[in-house]
Amino acid sequence: MNATARIRQGLYYAVLWGIAIVFFLPVLWVILAALKTKKQIIAKTPVWFFEPTLDNLQRVIERENFWKYLRMSVFLSLGGVMIALVVSFLAAYCFSRYKPRGTNFLMFLLLSVRMVPAAAVVVPVYLMYAAFGWKDTFLGMVLFYAMFSIPFSLWILKGFLDGVSLRYDETALVNGGSRLHIIFRVVLPQVKPGLVAAFIFNIIFVWNEFLFNYIIGGKSVTMVPVQLQAGVNSGGSADWGYIAGLSTIYMIPPILAIYAFQKYLLVGMTFGTVRGEV
Amino acid sequence: MAEIRVQGLRKEFGALVALDDVSFSFPESRVTCLLGPSGCGKTTLMRIIAGLERATRGDVYFGGQRVTHLPPRKRNIGMVFQYPVVYRGISVAENIELPLKSEKLSKAERTARVAEVVEILGLGDHVAKDITQLDNGTRQKVAVARAVARQPRIILFDEPITNVDANAKLQLKRAFKELTRRLEQTIIYVTHDQTEAMTLADQIALMQDGRIVQCDAPRELYNHPSDVFGGWFLGNPGMVFVDGTLSANGSGTVVTAPLFPAPVPTAGGASDEPATAVTVGIRPEHIRVATGDAPGAVAADLLRKSITVGRQYLLSLRVGDVAFKAKVTPQVGESLPARGAVWVTLPPERVTLFAPNGNRVDATLTQPR
Repeated sequence: MNATARIRQGLYYAVLWGIAIVFFLPVLWVILAALKTKKQIIAKTPVWFFEPTLDNLQRVIERENFWKYLRMSVFLSLGGVMIALVVSFLAAYCFSRYKPRGTNFLMFLLLSVRMVPAAAVVVPVYLMYAAFGWKDTFLGMVLFYAMFSIPFSLWILKGFLDGVSLRYDETALVNGGSRLHIIFRVVLPQVKPGLVAAFIFNIIFVWNEFLFNYIIGGKSVTMVPVQLQAGVNSGGSADWGYIAGLSTIYMIPPILAIYAFQKYLLVGMTFGTVRGEV
Repeated sequence: MAEIRVQGLRKEFGALVALDDVSFSFPESRVTCLLGPSGCGKTTLMRIIAGLERATRGDVYFGGQRVTHLPPRKRNIGMVFQYPVVYRGISVAENIELPLKSEKLSKAERTARVAEVVEILGLGDHVAKDITQLDNGTRQKVAVARAVARQPRIILFDEPITNVDANAKLQLKRAFKELTRRLEQTIIYVTHDQTEAMTLADQIALMQDGRIVQCDAPRELYNHPSDVFGGWFLGNPGMVFVDGTLSANGSGTVVTAPLFPAPVPTAGGASDEPATAVTVGIRPEHIRVATGDAPGAVAADLLRKSITVGRQYLLSLRVGDVAFKAKVTPQVGESLPARGAVWVTLPPERVTLFAPNGNRVDATLTQPR
């Protein structure tokens, strides 16, 4: 490699790192703020060097209902996404294998709820939930998140199922397998990466969802993001230390999950059409 | 173990007729190859037998039982497809065992069956491996083992070795030969590869345009095709065809063609017509080529000679304006010039005559007196 090529490559990496760090800055700010005192957080000239304190984190954990909110986040996310996976896997199998008339249009309709801004659909959903009497209930919220997660899961899983040759079904069929045997014992193991992709992709959405939880979850079914908002209005001024601390703790699980499953994330974003090494 | 019989089987895909009223029997405990070019309906026929496809009309019988309306899983068959269907994430042994689990067999029985097919197919080194570690050929062996382990009465193979590389192909072919020798099931094997069919089949059913045109033992089919299609499709290259005339002379009938120096008498094939057009067919390897004249030989131009499989020589020849190919042994091939004048003989006993409609004429050529 000659000198110019080396410089080019150096520049290339510098730009790459530069952009990535710019994207990371807000997150870094939150993490640093969680370790600062209130004064340091609101200092006009940003404080870069300081003695970290765990006060904020301690305050977050000790505060009333922290574990309740966290538990709610976990149950709602896992519950909603798991239901969505079961439903959308079966639906995707049907779409992929039986190709009902109008499959493309149906798939489009299902995705439409995710195409419009959440603020636009929150009112009709609220009215619906109020009419059903599902408002402020855990089950209602889980079902909402399932509905919220089904479209993307369906698209991802259909992409994967289309990639599983029909010969799998037929082999199992002549080998004496029932339809359920085919779906769960033969086809399902082939699309495990798709299931992981759909899971990780949707869990990030639901874990961080605020608006619907705030409007239809009410006081009793509250996840952490809604509680963050409570920190903004505490005692007349925003309690930045509390917000930063809670955010920092709350972002650990998704960051770990994304790091562990990043290859599946790509698959999810491309609806299973780009497989990579999964 | 049952005979498979199809009766008046017809399958239409829109305007396309994939099977044209096929009635046929696949004999019990034998290997029948369905051979034909792509799109001749062989796979459709097999899929209807398996129950994966519904016939437009007609019936399928296994032994005495009518199975036309049974779903595939009630037909007690095993099937292997072109692409190796194996289940990822589980070992070879588990792959083979999976369908056995829904058969209410004891664990010991299942293990015994797996061990048996593993032994027959030579998968011993791979049983504990994960499927993803295997190449395509071995995966296909696993798919075969899985189909066989259930001990169905009928096994269907749909071009099972088309998609494996050349080396594995040979190995798989050998494994199949061994397998079919030991099994007593009725086996149907679909292929478009004639060498595969020749090696594996007890009998070959030759298909063309949705019909079974001939069914015979491989050698019989090769040597005595019942129509022009069989002659053309089998062999590499296929039969040499030359236009000729079948006519009566004082004592009997004779065949005249550019590749015969004089009319050749025939036995049978007498007709009231004074002269009928026929096609004279002969396998390229049955044509004798020499540098010198001999009784029954005609002068020919050798245009090109090239070496083929087995160091045989493929010759491009011309007599008058009739161009044709011949295949000769290494010894003969080496003795011939690269190009130039040679002498060509068609041994009468090797010649088959076809009528203008393509069917074989029931007449044999005899040595000229």
